[in-house]
Amino acid sequence: MSDVTLESLTKTYGDEVAVDGIDLTIRDGEILGVVGPSGCGKTTTLRTIAGFETPTHGRVLFDGVDVTHVPPEERNVGLVFQSYALFDTMTVRENVAFGPKMQGVPKAKRRERADDLLAMLDIAELADRRPTTLSGGQQQRVGLARALAIEPHVLLLDEPMTGLDAELKTRLREEIGDLLADLEVTALYVTHDQEEAMAMCDRIAVLADGTLEQVGPPAEIYRRPANPFVANFVGSSTLLEGVAENGHVDLGFTELPVAAETDGSVRVAARPAAFELGEGSLEADVTDVTYLGDRTRLTATLPDDTTVTLHADGIDGYRVGDSVPLSIDEQRVHLLE
Amino acid sequence: MSVRKSATASVRRIATLASTTARPTTERERERRRIVVLCLPFFALAVVAGFVPLAMLVRISLAEDTIWMEGWSLEAWETLATTPAYRRVAWNTLWFVGLATGVSVALGVAVAHALEKYDLPAERIVVAAVSFPIALPGIVVAYLITVLLGRQGLVTNAIAVATGQGAHGLASATAITGLFLGYVYSLLPRATMVLRGTYAEVNEQAEEAARALGASRWETFYHVTLPEIRPGIAAAAILTFRSGLAIFGTVLILQSHQVVTLQIHNEISVGSYAPDVAAAIGLVYVVFIVAFTFVGLRFVDDDAVEV
Amino acid sequence: MTGNTSPRADDGSTAAENADAALTTRPDGGSVTASGNRRWSRSGRAFSTLLGRPIVAGVVAVVTAFLTVPVLVAFVSSFAESGSGVLPTGFVTFDHWRKVLGFGEYGVRKNAIPGLTYSLLIATGGMVLNVVIGVPVAYALARYDFYARDWVNTFAILPLVPGLILGIAFVQTYPQHGRSALGLLAGYCLLKSPYMVLTVQSSFQSMDLVRLEESARSLGASWPRTFLTVVVPHAKRGIIAGAIITWTLAAAEFNFTHMVASGSPDPFAMFLYDNIANNALYLQSAAAVSVYFLIVAGAIISLQLLGKRGFSTAHQ
Repeated sequence: MSDVTLESLTKTYGDEVAVDGIDLTIRDGEILGVVGPSGCGKTTTLRTIAGFETPTHGRVLFDGVDVTHVPPEERNVGLVFQSYALFDTMTVRENVAFGPKMQGVPKAKRRERADDLLAMLDIAELADRRPTTLSGGQQQRVGLARALAIEPHVLLLDEPMTGLDAELKTRLREEIGDLLADLEVTALYVTHDQEEAMAMCDRIAVLADGTLEQVGPPAEIYRRPANPFVANFVGSSTLLEGVAENGHVDLGFTELPVAAETDGSVRVAARPAAFELGEGSLEADVTDVTYLGDRTRLTATLPDDTTVTLHADGIDGYRVGDSVPLSIDEQRVHLLE
Repeated sequence: MSVRKSATASVRRIATLASTTARPTTERERERRRIVVLCLPFFALAVVAGFVPLAMLVRISLAEDTIWMEGWSLEAWETLATTPAYRRVAWNTLWFVGLATGVSVALGVAVAHALEKYDLPAERIVVAAVSFPIALPGIVVAYLITVLLGRQGLVTNAIAVATGQGAHGLASATAITGLFLGYVYSLLPRATMVLRGTYAEVNEQAEEAARALGASRWETFYHVTLPEIRPGIAAAAILTFRSGLAIFGTVLILQSHQVVTLQIHNEISVGSYAPDVAAAIGLVYVVFIVAFTFVGLRFVDDDAVEV
Repeated sequence: MTGNTSPRADDGSTAAENADAALTTRPDGGSVTASGNRRWSRSGRAFSTLLGRPIVAGVVAVVTAFLTVPVLVAFVSSFAESGSGVLPTGFVTFDHWRKVLGFGEYGVRKNAIPGLTYSLLIATGGMVLNVVIGVPVAYALARYDFYARDWVNTFAILPLVPGLILGIAFVQTYPQHGRSALGLLAGYCLLKSPYMVLTVQSSFQSMDLVRLEESARSLGASWPRTFLTVVVPHAKRGIIAGAIITWTLAAAEFNFTHMVASGSPDPFAMFLYDNIANNALYLQSAAAVSVYFLIVAGAIISLQLLGKRGFSTAHQ
């Protein structure tokens, strides 16, 4: 496995900028998640690493070697697609052995490698079946085995779980996460599902409009979003306007003991968990109640008309129009900029 | 000066394009080379078997001596422009093929509708019956019309027996009605084939919604189904009309109506040998078909196109 | 909820029945009453609901008969001794078939076999050439977006030059080879290529071509190898169907053949023409035409085995 570096990667189609100067390194053996709204350039980034797009500017380096102009078939990159894209004309084993065959691995050896991988992915018994006879989850495992069979420098996964149902997704997510960690595969995991990225990836890169907004471990992205976009895209946040002064932030209706680097107007991102219901000096009017089973999501209005989102225990019976007392946990708010 | 500069620039651009296509470095350039490689065989055939012969046709139409292809003359085009008989042939062709197209498309809608919506008892037979004639050359269609309407034909003799008249007087295969049926026989299956493709994509839920909202079957067809299949009907009409213009074998056998293909054939027949005029008519005819197709298809979805 | 789903409501149910019905409560808390049904039923039906279907079905029946009856009559009469009268009489004789297939004396000098062999060979050559030419261009059109794609598409899927014109031009352009087998082969290939291109193209369009190609290439297959070992096998059915269609259509192509054929040997289409143009040989023509019917029937059965609905280029 190797590390992959993108150097001020830019890709334009005519006047349209798909990727705008991204600098990013996928470290050896890590799973890097790429999240962002549709059209943010995540798939273009993935295809550029695979070699199907040549960047307009910038370079792609594998272990420090410039591969920007190397054709895809010579890059040794594993690809897993949402649509699986298995070869229906071949058996499962032939699918997995296809890559080694192209590399010139002798027949007995590639068969062995295919069978090992199928066993590792728990689908050894499907080896002689045709892909069209398999379920979505099974096909995705074959797709993964096929991509791993070439022992790729980097494994690129493009929304691999999107077509699967929720329960299977959760199970497969854990299995694949463990497997990739065991194999110490360098992987780029593109998804629009931030929860999936949080669960599976060592680090997450957030993209918007072709630019890199923030990159870091999941907890850091969640707790310390770099800007309002990240704060809102990864989980939900309430943005509060305030003024920083002598180690305090004055929000108008309350003051928080949060230190800012410079005094002046600031924005504070508050996760739903930052609001503690039931006690405190603040009064909020409930404007919307959504029952989610294990918890209840409330939308409420603070005295200065700011709308906040907060979570309550599933059994508490709140109604629209209720006035609830709440407090803000200053440990759980994050100062932006 | 600036003209020369821009000319140099475009020559340079083309040279760059050619050299990057021959020796690509980016994936985009490699893709361009692939496209060129993939299209090249077809292009070669189209040039050798299509464009060069068409160019030859232009030469023939302008030749003074049509046997040795020497000299230049506009005589054929003058003949074509000044002889009223040729205008009559054009008019004959257009109304006849147009009418046959209209009838074929209308019947095609009914057949496609029934195949898609109804649980027909003999659906496979209907499908086979509709697709079989597509493979038949025009001369065979002409024969099949004589089987029905010729002097020994089934319908002719049935009427003769029923009315007590002689079969000879009743045979209509070589009348214009017989030829018309021959055209419909060839064109109806093509129209149906295009329309079946369109019908397969009709949004059934919209139709069910209309029915649930109280629309009768006809109202549902008129307000919901018809607007959806309209592009298909247009495509079917265009392709059927084109096919109708190209019919030759049927009319060669039945001979009852002077359409353009028969006229071209007559121009190069022994006795009235005028290959320059034939070439001129042929060119007008090809240009008309190409223009008609391009203009027509501009208004319909490409997906509806089938041959 | 039309009238016929609630017959009781139509004939006017009694109060006692209504009371009965009201007692039938359903587990979801609702209850069903007969009088409730009456409110939802329509008294009359639209004209089209009653008569639309029979009329359309009638049209379909007439069309089907128009298309099939002459074919069946021609086929049946090829076994008859006499063709005069309403229906052919004097079954069963194989005279006409024997003549057509060359076992015995024949009216129009020749039997079908040499012409048929010649035509089928040329058709096979045209088919092979069509695979070589049509599959790549179909792939380019389905897979890539490029400058002038629409133009190439129109030229590839629409026969822009009719066979008759092409034939005339061909002979003049290539006086040496125009009338040879090679000329016929090139002509058939160009004239029938749209069927191959369209069939293969629709087959390509039904699969995830881009991902398939990218998978193979990321696994180390060069592009030519990807094309030959992954893409082409995936389109196998479409290619075979296109081959059957182009072959069958070329086997009896007339318009181009009539202009180009030289008479040594005469292609099958010319044999058919000689028979059909000669009115006196009515029953013998039936046998000649039936030979081609059998070829077409075979082709249609093969196409249906491939999952196609007859001579259609569309993918199902």
